[in-house]
Amino acid sequence: MLWYHWLATLSAVICLSSCIIHTFKVIRAGKPKDYAKPSGDVSASVRYSFTGAMHPAKKESAYMHLPTYIGGLLYHMGTFLSLFLLILLSLGLYPSGILTYILVAVFSVTAVSGLAILLKRISSSQLRALSNPDDYLSNILVSLFQLATVALLLSQDFVAVYYVSASLLLLYIPLGKLKHLVYFFAARYHLGIFFGSRNVWPSKQS
Amino acid sequence: MEIITIEKKKKGLEVLSNKEDGKLQTHMNACVHCGLCANSCVYYNAMPEARFIPATKVELVSSIYRRYQTFSGKFFPSLVGARSLDDEAANEMVDLLFGACTLCGRCVTHCSIGVDISYVVKKGREMLSAMDMIPETLQSTIDAALESGNNMSIPKEEFVETLEWLEEDLQFEVNDDEAKIHLDEEGKDILYTLNPREPKFFPLSISAMAKVFHAAKESWTLSTKMYDITNYAYYSGNYKEAAVITQRLYDEVERLGAKSCVLAECGHGSRAFRWEGPNYLKKTYPFDVFTSVELLASYIREGRLKVDPAKITQKVSLHDPCNLARSGGIWKEQRYILNACVSDFVEMTPHGNDNICCGGGGGQLAMSEYNDRRMAIGKIKADQIKASGAEIIATPCHNCVDQLTQLNVTYKLGIKIMTLGEIVADAIVLENEESN
Repeated sequence: MLWYHWLATLSAVICLSSCIIHTFKVIRAGKPKDYAKPSGDVSASVRYSFTGAMHPAKKESAYMHLPTYIGGLLYHMGTFLSLFLLILLSLGLYPSGILTYILVAVFSVTAVSGLAILLKRISSSQLRALSNPDDYLSNILVSLFQLATVALLLSQDFVAVYYVSASLLLLYIPLGKLKHLVYFFAARYHLGIFFGSRNVWPSKQS
Repeated sequence: MEIITIEKKKKGLEVLSNKEDGKLQTHMNACVHCGLCANSCVYYNAMPEARFIPATKVELVSSIYRRYQTFSGKFFPSLVGARSLDDEAANEMVDLLFGACTLCGRCVTHCSIGVDISYVVKKGREMLSAMDMIPETLQSTIDAALESGNNMSIPKEEFVETLEWLEEDLQFEVNDDEAKIHLDEEGKDILYTLNPREPKFFPLSISAMAKVFHAAKESWTLSTKMYDITNYAYYSGNYKEAAVITQRLYDEVERLGAKSCVLAECGHGSRAFRWEGPNYLKKTYPFDVFTSVELLASYIREGRLKVDPAKITQKVSLHDPCNLARSGGIWKEQRYILNACVSDFVEMTPHGNDNICCGGGGGQLAMSEYNDRRMAIGKIKADQIKASGAEIIATPCHNCVDQLTQLNVTYKLGIKIMTLGEIVADAIVLENEESN
């Protein structure tokens, strides 16, 4: 293993441990005890919170902002896929042939989606007012990693750049807003409980 | 600008320090500042400024949480936008969390992540309450309830007198000298509650429900000691005071031995007693609690009330109170009632769980310093009403009735605003009418 392999491995361990700690803390804290008698199906609501309630037709944040929504969706898919690929590459499993070019195309699109979202944040005065350095840095690190993935797939010359960018991202995930990787799921869970106990979800409204 | 002492600051920060609350940890860490919630907020839609974006309100609270409760906030505050709780932050919180949010929760269901924005705003209000920074106007409403037993400080004698003449009116209307408004009677099936606005300004909504109870042959009573369903401490974030108010109604249900407590047409009151109250008191109620909307629907469904939709021929639309529909799961019942009681019912767009707030929630009606904002955000509802073409707007919430009444004047809507009880009472076919 070369130095950048060690760096990435160490970063992955730190990232994974921190995320596990965050997850453990939030699970251990649990949900506040609700003394009110529920009037709905809480389990069904939690399931709905992760499925039907996420449907773009149900959310103004999706259907009123379709380009951003689609860009965000692609960006997130690219992030998960690039992290998955990092595991494969670390195990010495390299894609070959046409698959390499498909991945290059996919990550190019997802990275551009991320950069477009960054551009939107920079160019909108209202989004700038809402943003802090973490918002920009998080986006830059994720986009950079996806671009580094493209570079590595095209040329092994970028292997050090790739692992360094992966390390930076992995080290930063537990610090800033990227930890919504954990809290997104917890938020959907708590929302499902809240709306389920009150029979608001699963939505039966036509 | 109000100056906060170290003692106050400490009390405010204690609200965020509960390590055993997974919901708190979650919602303080989940917002990604995408800003896509903006268009789901009546404040932002009426006044498109960054400070009115729901995420900005979340950030006011969560940035303070980060500063004191997270590793990165403690060591790299500038990087992660962690903010100290200082005079400026606290005063900004008062302005935006009290003065620019009705807690309608519409942004919550539309949030791309699922941040419970209302919950975070309420946490912020809880902090401000701990720091003794509740707007005086709102606090005075709570003080009135705590001191007099109802938020309008109606003396018991005045209340009883009002009910006595309402009873005479009822007997005349239903042509039955035995028709009664039962007061403080023990062992009834139902203890019915009121919004104090009813005896003070809208006594006809009490008559309407009395007529309904009479026609349904219900076993019911009102309490002259504790009838107030409202709980403005739910809005202020002072949950000790909210618990005192809840306990009083709880005790009254127990004292009178009623089988169930029926909540008057009051969105926040229903929510505060039914859903939040057991948590203020840390116990599950041993009696049933349901809203008058559910009760009215059950009367019609079970045939205990006969109604004639031909009695109300005007075009009627419905305004869903946020606390009842979006945060209470009650949206079918009011439609069932209106479809049975009026001949021309139309929906607004959007409606039900996705309905747009009228602007009267969140304690806004009690905080006169934010009246201009309240009327500005109400324009969205006014436009929605105009588009529906309705002549009557039914709404099962007295705060909404008040706000809609003001919107009616300000935006010249030319509508009549009614509670569901009033609609049902107008549509009832009494037994003696049938025999005639």
